[in-house]
Amino acid sequence: MAEPTLETVREFADSFFYGSRSNLDMKFLRDLSPTEVGDFFEGLLQHLATTLDDGDAGRLVDHVIEWQRHAYTAHLDGKAAFAYDDVPRAAMSKPLSNARVALITSSGHFVDGADPQPLGVVDMTQEEAERRVGEFLREAPTLSDIPVDTPPSHLRVRHGGYPVTAAKSDHNVNLPLDALQALQREGMIGEVHHTARSFVGATSQLRLREGVAPEWAEILRAEQVDAVLLVPV
Amino acid sequence: MSVGHVQRAIESAGIPTVGVYVSAFGHVPAQMGVARALITPHPMGRPMGAPGDAERHLAVVRHALSLLERDTDQVIESFPDGYRPHSPTTV
Repeated sequence: MAEPTLETVREFADSFFYGSRSNLDMKFLRDLSPTEVGDFFEGLLQHLATTLDDGDAGRLVDHVIEWQRHAYTAHLDGKAAFAYDDVPRAAMSKPLSNARVALITSSGHFVDGADPQPLGVVDMTQEEAERRVGEFLREAPTLSDIPVDTPPSHLRVRHGGYPVTAAKSDHNVNLPLDALQALQREGMIGEVHHTARSFVGATSQLRLREGVAPEWAEILRAEQVDAVLLVPV
Repeated sequence: MSVGHVQRAIESAGIPTVGVYVSAFGHVPAQMGVARALITPHPMGRPMGAPGDAERHLAVVRHALSLLERDTDQVIESFPDGYRPHSPTTV
């Protein structure tokens, strides 16, 4: 056993944010005050104690979701780096049932054999993406084309900013190809655009806003897309 | 924020959009002025629902796409049902 280390609540909470206890589902702990960190764990353990008797883990799930929401929304205090007063808005040019609908997600998916090689690295691991997330935040994002008929076994996902475990087991949690294709069969939409796109949302916001996003919009316009479903992670 | 910027750029290019945001980022659509958003009460990384919950994924996409035909300047709605973890054994 190593010598016990005296650790403050602040240090403990921060260690879940890319630190010694890195856990992207729990990285929100960094955004809580020390008192709130105490409240989170006290509530979690109370729910866990109740779960010992009835086995209903749903309350644990709800607790985590509620504190994620609280952590990211309660301390904004006008700190928003990007806030806009206007709302750019285009209207549908045809009924949805005749429309070509494209999908773009910031999930970090790509097709096997077409790795965008972020930061110039071949076959970057998820662990390296998490470790180097600060470098991602300074770079412009790359848009990966994903033909919508790609077999799920050919999909890859890597993203240093969020827990990818769920997306690895089912891409539809943030790349909802199955649902879009079902709605095409049903007739709610005219067609799913042949190419979905994904990028790593942990990226330079200024490079994205000033250069990349308008270029992507032009690509979609050239491809005569009628509407776009966007999925941030 | 990334998708907020992309959503604004696409709308500015004349193509209507809708975004599906988890509740942790539920403040982003209003803050960034995106035209249409659906907020889901799901954990980060799973805006459509739990892995394997195809029924929920379909309901979320259906709800989101329905917002495209609303004739209002900005529409931000919340998905009505709570998150439900999906166990393969209950399929």
